[in-house]
Amino acid sequence: MTMRILTAVLRTIRNSRRLAIGLLILGVMVLLALFSPLIVNAIGGGKDPIEVAAYEKWLVPGPGHLLGTDQFGRDVFAMVVKALSVSLQIGAIAGIISTVVGVIVAFVAGYKGGWIDGILSTFTGILLVIPTFPLLIALSAYAKNVTLFQVGVMISIFAWPFAAKTIRSQVLSLRTRPYVDLARVSKARDLEIIVTELLPNLLPFIGVGFASSALGAIFGLVGLEVIGLGPGGVVDLGQIIFNAITTGALTLGAWPMFVVPIVLLTLLFAALNMVNIGLEEVYNPRLRGVAGE
Amino acid sequence: MTADAPPVVAVDKSQDSAPSRGVRAWLSRHPLAAYAIRRVGIYFVELWGALTIAFFFFRLIPGDPVQTLIQTLQQNYMYNQQASTELIARYQQEFGLTGNMFSQYVKYMEKLVLHGDLGPSLINYPTPAQDVILRALPWTIGLLGISAVLSWILGVLLGAIAGWRRGKLGSAIATNLSIALSHVPYFFVALILVYIFAYSMGVLPARSAYDSNISPGITPEFIGSVLKYGLLPGLSIVVIGTLSWILSTRMLMVPVLGEDYLVYAEAKGLKGWRILTRYALRNCYLPQITAFGISLGFIFNGNVLVEQLFNYPGLGTTLVTAIQQLDFNTILGVTDIAIFSVLTAVLLLDLLLPLLDPRVKYWK
Repeated sequence: MTMRILTAVLRTIRNSRRLAIGLLILGVMVLLALFSPLIVNAIGGGKDPIEVAAYEKWLVPGPGHLLGTDQFGRDVFAMVVKALSVSLQIGAIAGIISTVVGVIVAFVAGYKGGWIDGILSTFTGILLVIPTFPLLIALSAYAKNVTLFQVGVMISIFAWPFAAKTIRSQVLSLRTRPYVDLARVSKARDLEIIVTELLPNLLPFIGVGFASSALGAIFGLVGLEVIGLGPGGVVDLGQIIFNAITTGALTLGAWPMFVVPIVLLTLLFAALNMVNIGLEEVYNPRLRGVAGE
Repeated sequence: MTADAPPVVAVDKSQDSAPSRGVRAWLSRHPLAAYAIRRVGIYFVELWGALTIAFFFFRLIPGDPVQTLIQTLQQNYMYNQQASTELIARYQQEFGLTGNMFSQYVKYMEKLVLHGDLGPSLINYPTPAQDVILRALPWTIGLLGISAVLSWILGVLLGAIAGWRRGKLGSAIATNLSIALSHVPYFFVALILVYIFAYSMGVLPARSAYDSNISPGITPEFIGSVLKYGLLPGLSIVVIGTLSWILSTRMLMVPVLGEDYLVYAEAKGLKGWRILTRYALRNCYLPQITAFGISLGFIFNGNVLVEQLFNYPGLGTTLVTAIQQLDFNTILGVTDIAIFSVLTAVLLLDLLLPLLDPRVKYWK
């Protein structure tokens, strides 16, 4: 079964250039994040380039410091590389948690139907309409010393409804397919039907749910950081932007401090969105070519 | 949280199986009225559910607003004595923090629904939170409302054109640009715009909502100043907003283009522009109206950061200030206002839809 899924995934990627490009950008970023300790080391050449007063303050970009240094004399390039891996981690943590919650809610609601579906869908709908950012800011303002994982959990509280909504509508349409009926007549248990019949067919939509939750989570953390309410002790891309604003990097002309994080995050959002649209295109023939050239 | 839910079903049931035959018959003769009643019922359930979730959410977060208030007072007035228990009790009474969680909830809802009272604010004690919010509200409605509507109109038009001219270079550029940028936070665009126009070129202001040398009023100077100061924050919302509407409109437009009636219109010799606006666009902008209402919540989320960056005196800035001082009543009030606005907008648009689209029939 693993092989079946693997070949299906490969076929999907071959069929969509957009999906391939999105995954490629993501892959490069993940590699960069994985090797970030090595890269940071190489920049520092023995000492820690992110240490306070490692170099002179406000150095302009040059061969020694590709992106210059910040108000504490830290190397901006090294900071950006390290921060990228934090941003990716939060996306992965919150993405996985909210996708799992979303999948469970979607399957219970879509498969069971009836009043359970009524309650769960109304609840999901309410959460989708509430502007969640105030709640998220409030939550983080009261929870100062939290780990990255805990922030991920906090963000997931608001991110799962998107995944749940996407997947539920697909469960509804798959539930009435003949092969599901067949499985039911042959006395398969609910869980068995869900795992062996429904889940494999829903993988692309679970992928969509994951990509959009990850996107929302990264945006959430960046949002918290730029108003100075992020978790302590971690530097993500949003915090570098926050630094740039509060220290007046805009007026000083130290553009790398906010342009580079913004470009990286934009690239990341673009890649996740391309994966989203690519997946939808491949599995929804009606859309094929619709979003295309 | 599941405790909120059972009445949902109850409301639906009571409408599905109305006991009186007369009412039922009347409703089946007036499907539109039946739809409206049902829709309004759902609206109230959603509103109540959302407000309840927000209330308990904020009450369950640790943090003591009374202690914060006393600290603020001590700092501001050099009031160095330890607060007496009496004083604390009085403030707790005033902030609605006495009794258990449920009785606090009942009291809060009662004050909110019957008197529109959100309790005293902390950031501007003892001004009531609703007054603080009402002062900020026009700015946000102006900034966010105009930008949201403008990006919707621009995005739907451009998206329709992009769908209409698919395969052409311009359309491909617009589509790929929207795919790449439609999820970028407004805030990023705002930051880049501020850097270019405010700091590098120095042509537009980057902070506040109007020139403080001009006294507020309905004068040409003041309005001009407001427009000038609103340009950058507004633009940053419009740029990204337009791009995301382009993408979704294009997706709705392309399937419509294959329809027979469009071929017929073309065979009649109608001009391309006329076919686009009168024939094709009419069929794809309707779902976008519903989508507009739903998107308001997201736009509000993004708007908080934009306002904060520009120090714009709207709800977003109020919210951030309130959070920094643990001002429960104001935070909850802003959230409540946002919830109310979004749900009401969605309701109004849903009720408006059957009037705009004769094909929509709400048979139950």
